[in-house]
Amino acid sequence: MSATFNRRFTSWLNRAAVLIAVGVGASAVVAQTSGEPVTIGVSGPLTGQNAQYGAQWKKGFDLALEEVNQKGVKGRPLQYVFEDSQADPRQSVAIAQKFVSDPKIVVEVGDFSSTASMAASSIYQRAGLVQFGFTNSHPNFTKGGDYMWSNSVSQADEQPRLAKYAADLGFKRVAVLFLNTDWGRSSQAIFTESAKNLGVEVVASEGYQPDEKDFRSTLVRVRDAKPDAIILISYYADGALITRQTRSVGLTQSIVASGSIYSPKFIELAGDAGNGVFTESNFFPNDPRPEVQSFVTKFKAKYNEEPDDFNAVAYDTIILLADVIDKYGDDRTAIRDGLAQKKNVPSVIYGKASFDTQTRRVAGARAVYLVVKNGQFVLWDGKKPTAS
Amino acid sequence: MSSFIDYTVNGLVIGNIYALLAVGLALIFGVSNLINFAHGSVYTIGAYVGWAAITFLHTPLPITMAIVFIASALVGMLIERVGLRPLQGSARIAPLLATIGISFVLDQVVQLVFSPNPRALPNDLPDWRIDIGGGSIGALDLLIAGVGVGSAAMLFVFLRFTKLGYAVRATAQDREAALQMGVNVNAVNSAVFAIASALGGLSGLLVGMYYNHIDPAMSFQATLKGIVAQVIGGVGNVPGAIVGSLMLGLIESYGIALLGTTYRNLFAFALLILFLHFLPNGLFGGRSVLQSEPLAGAFIAPSKPIRLPRWALWALTGAAFALPLVIGAPYLLQTLTNAWLAAMLALSLTLMAGTAGQISFGHAGLLAIGAYASALLAVDLGAPAYLTVPAAGLITSALGTLLIFPAFRLRGHYIAIATLAIGEVVSLVILNWESLTRGAMGITSIPPLSIFGHEIYAIREVYWLCLAIVVGLALLQTRLLASHFGRTLRAIRDDDVAARSYGIGLERYKALAFAFGGFGAGVSGAITAHLYSYINHQTFDSQVSLLALTMVILGGMGNVVGAVIGAIVLVGLPEIFRVTAEYRILIYGIVLLLLIRFRPQGLMGTV
Repeated sequence: MSATFNRRFTSWLNRAAVLIAVGVGASAVVAQTSGEPVTIGVSGPLTGQNAQYGAQWKKGFDLALEEVNQKGVKGRPLQYVFEDSQADPRQSVAIAQKFVSDPKIVVEVGDFSSTASMAASSIYQRAGLVQFGFTNSHPNFTKGGDYMWSNSVSQADEQPRLAKYAADLGFKRVAVLFLNTDWGRSSQAIFTESAKNLGVEVVASEGYQPDEKDFRSTLVRVRDAKPDAIILISYYADGALITRQTRSVGLTQSIVASGSIYSPKFIELAGDAGNGVFTESNFFPNDPRPEVQSFVTKFKAKYNEEPDDFNAVAYDTIILLADVIDKYGDDRTAIRDGLAQKKNVPSVIYGKASFDTQTRRVAGARAVYLVVKNGQFVLWDGKKPTAS
Repeated sequence: MSSFIDYTVNGLVIGNIYALLAVGLALIFGVSNLINFAHGSVYTIGAYVGWAAITFLHTPLPITMAIVFIASALVGMLIERVGLRPLQGSARIAPLLATIGISFVLDQVVQLVFSPNPRALPNDLPDWRIDIGGGSIGALDLLIAGVGVGSAAMLFVFLRFTKLGYAVRATAQDREAALQMGVNVNAVNSAVFAIASALGGLSGLLVGMYYNHIDPAMSFQATLKGIVAQVIGGVGNVPGAIVGSLMLGLIESYGIALLGTTYRNLFAFALLILFLHFLPNGLFGGRSVLQSEPLAGAFIAPSKPIRLPRWALWALTGAAFALPLVIGAPYLLQTLTNAWLAAMLALSLTLMAGTAGQISFGHAGLLAIGAYASALLAVDLGAPAYLTVPAAGLITSALGTLLIFPAFRLRGHYIAIATLAIGEVVSLVILNWESLTRGAMGITSIPPLSIFGHEIYAIREVYWLCLAIVVGLALLQTRLLASHFGRTLRAIRDDDVAARSYGIGLERYKALAFAFGGFGAGVSGAITAHLYSYINHQTFDSQVSLLALTMVILGGMGNVVGAVIGAIVLVGLPEIFRVTAEYRILIYGIVLLLLIRFRPQGLMGTV
């Protein structure tokens, strides 16, 4: 009786273990690799308000793993364990303790929000496990210690470029709408500074909450400031909402949006109102560079959809870490030292990525000027918009 | 001047959207005396059903609306039948919590089925617009207004002139009497949920089309704004809900005009607090609304609490202290430390909500005050943590009591709504008071905890510190509850009229309870800030408040041991369900519902 139960229970356990292993991410063990897998710990949102971003990360990770595991890292398969934090600091610190005390985890990736990531930083730093925050643009993230690294595009690079684009387009007076988060707030400050240096006046600045949906009254304020263009420091979903409402309240000014709106979803959500929106992006699928083309082709083949910015950075991150582990081994400290030494890793976002050993960030993200035409992102043809 | 017209039009346009939500909420409140937190989830489901119909069946708008109407009505009936009817006869807090659990489950199901990505929801209405002032309104705006006013008018006629309408009103007035007069009360409730949910689903569809945007996370904000709007109109009052919604839209719009976009919600919640203070029955509610709140303890389930023998409690406490010596796993210790921090919050809330009967939905606001107080003292003034943490407790105690003071004359649901608003206001003030709080950037580099120069960051030491504080607060609270103070608070909770006639100063005792509870919550927030080293206005959001309340109810209202157990269970369960990845919050919601269903008085029982 109890033997049967035991056997049944064991087989159930085995099945559960298999299920977990599959859930644990791709476990793409390809014939060429052998030995104990090398494990990356991921802390990010799979449920809750930000679940969509975790889902996008996974697609990028899985694609990169397929590629990496053709030959593996030092011949061993690479895999990741994704722990759902809901981007909540209470959960990300528990996950951090879990990861640092699990010797299998050689490097940690994430979390999504600054609150969740930076709350866990001190745990990673003291334990000596690299926390690789690839969406963490908060200027203080990598100041948490020498184990905090980020390949997130620095807003100090990004925003001056956006200001330059607005100036190149011939705008003199702009109104800025920004997401009132640490990311949006620091971006807005840098943008305003660089716009001033380029002779572009910021005539209005409006911060909005991430869950805001109605912008009609905000746009009246914008209109009354009489700008000749509207700058969006937004993500794609809120950017699309603002773009649509701008047109429906009768504003005809051009919209110039930061690269973070770059996503096929932006076009879908903004509809016809999206046409004519200017943006610049670190990632552009039609970019002829081979890293980009190989990524886009493989992504479309696997998921049957266009990749976006989040997919691209997630993919870049795994490729980069795999490269470092392959060269410097899977020791936690070796990985940190390796990140500082590794130069010119092929990257979708950067072309070739190398870290600044002082800031532990990557400088020099590629960027192209884009404009939406007929429901497509296309390269800007250099024509200034006719006066609105 | 033309801008003024534009702000007015825009306020009415958004108010129009709130109205669709508020009408359904008002109807359910009017009949069942229940804030339906699942209303927003039905709204989300309606939007997704519409999306599916348009995408897969290519239905034209009228057919889509009909499909959404019927599907949402069915969901509403299901909620009533499965989630709420079995709770009849248990305390009124049980169905309230059940709606929170149901909304978790429904939101997660939508997210699992449709993926968390936002989707476009196109509409096939003609693309003409009418110019008003500097802006314009379109066909969809008029349709939304039509549906809002039309449904309110139909409801009015239905309630006033039909047989079922009589039954609904009779049930709303006095459920037992209606039952005696042969009204099938269950059928009435079912009908009310069907109608309200059908409206909720329809509004999800229309609002989704309006923004061309639907996502599974849209429900909470929708519920929140709907609740604010219906309180302004007068809870449970259907025409009032429409007027309240329009007023809310206008105030928000004028608020943006005056101070800017980031102040929008601050205006919304300030308006709510003003209304609760000066006109708690809303614009249209009669005097009767406030009176119908329970007088004697019916809000909280009376029960015989389980008393663990004293030696067992001491043994458990000893075991908890010894644990890090036996098992060193930092993950386990961190999770338990999180549970101790949550327990401090739950102890504070169980005193206010359980013992004093002042249900709080905004307890995270106290955490935030404590966290910011301690962090700012440490970062800006360089004060050591062993001073800043107790100071933060005192500051929270004072500031928290001051903030809640105007709400003391409210009861039951009203105090719940008032505290919800206060919690939001705290978070919004932190966001907007940049010169003090650094706004959205948050406070970075908060030093770790330290005692006389010894820095505490090894997880074991943090664990012991937090556990010691929990034990200290629990002992103090047990002592208080056994004194005349505890008896007085329970008297106020069970019958405040009787308590007052015995000469008890209600507000003074409530204030004492909040002052004591505020200290514990403030200390919990302060320690959290030093542990995380980074906080911002989102670290302590309304989800934390809901979680705290769930802990308290799960443990048993007013029950000190129960609060600690509730905290361990609710911090522990999501960690245990971790292997189920995306399904984990769904499972958590279901477990919560089962607990409410089978043990509404909480694990340890109400004290």
